[in-house]
Amino acid sequence: MNIQSRKKALRYFFEKVVGPLGFKFTPDADLMEFLLEQEVKLESKHGIPFCPCQPLRDDRIRDMKIVCPCIPFHRKHFDIIKRCWCGLFVHKDVLDPNKLPQLSPKEVGIE
Amino acid sequence: MSEKFIRAISANEVAPGGMKAIELDGNEIVICNCGGNYYAIQRRCGHMNAPLEKGTLDGTYLTCPMHCIQFDITNGEALSGPVLPNFGQEIPSPMFGEYLQNIGILMKDVRTESIRTYTTKLEAGWVQIAL
Repeated sequence: MNIQSRKKALRYFFEKVVGPLGFKFTPDADLMEFLLEQEVKLESKHGIPFCPCQPLRDDRIRDMKIVCPCIPFHRKHFDIIKRCWCGLFVHKDVLDPNKLPQLSPKEVGIE
Repeated sequence: MSEKFIRAISANEVAPGGMKAIELDGNEIVICNCGGNYYAIQRRCGHMNAPLEKGTLDGTYLTCPMHCIQFDITNGEALSGPVLPNFGQEIPSPMFGEYLQNIGILMKDVRTESIRTYTTKLEAGWVQIAL
């Protein structure tokens, strides 16, 4: 198994999860490749492809909420900012992901 | 040199999304039906020889029933390593914990190899395989 092969598989399975939720992979191909690569590395270390942009807290209940794709656990927040926290996924209507700021739940008034 | 195809099974023996294990000339083979496209792969997993037809087929990605290793059945490529046991915050009993530790030690050096694929063709309602 190499990183490229695993990225291919993650992409295939993630697409099936995020599509029905109204999301797609970011059109920024470089960012997508980079983030998927980080997830492959996290998966080989922990056995689970955690979000590469959120900290692991050694608390299983909290950590399981950042398993990629973590959209179902943060739906309200991500629907407002039209992207997931790390930007791997964006709303299907988004064409330019660079215009979407990374706003925290507090900044969008849901915490 | 042209490949010699051998008649394996009738095409309607495997429903779309399904798999069937057969033995052909001494080779253990799994035939997969991916929406009408037939693929043939070696039956044994490239990790610890689990029978792959007992796994899960999703499109052209097959997941091994034993340690969840995924393969691309179009080319046999291993797409992941084995999934580690994760008990979360549950603490296994000391005996089971020791057993798992020993299994972990034994499995540490087991490599995951890609699996062999076979060329297939569909002719007159039969799936044929080149050996």
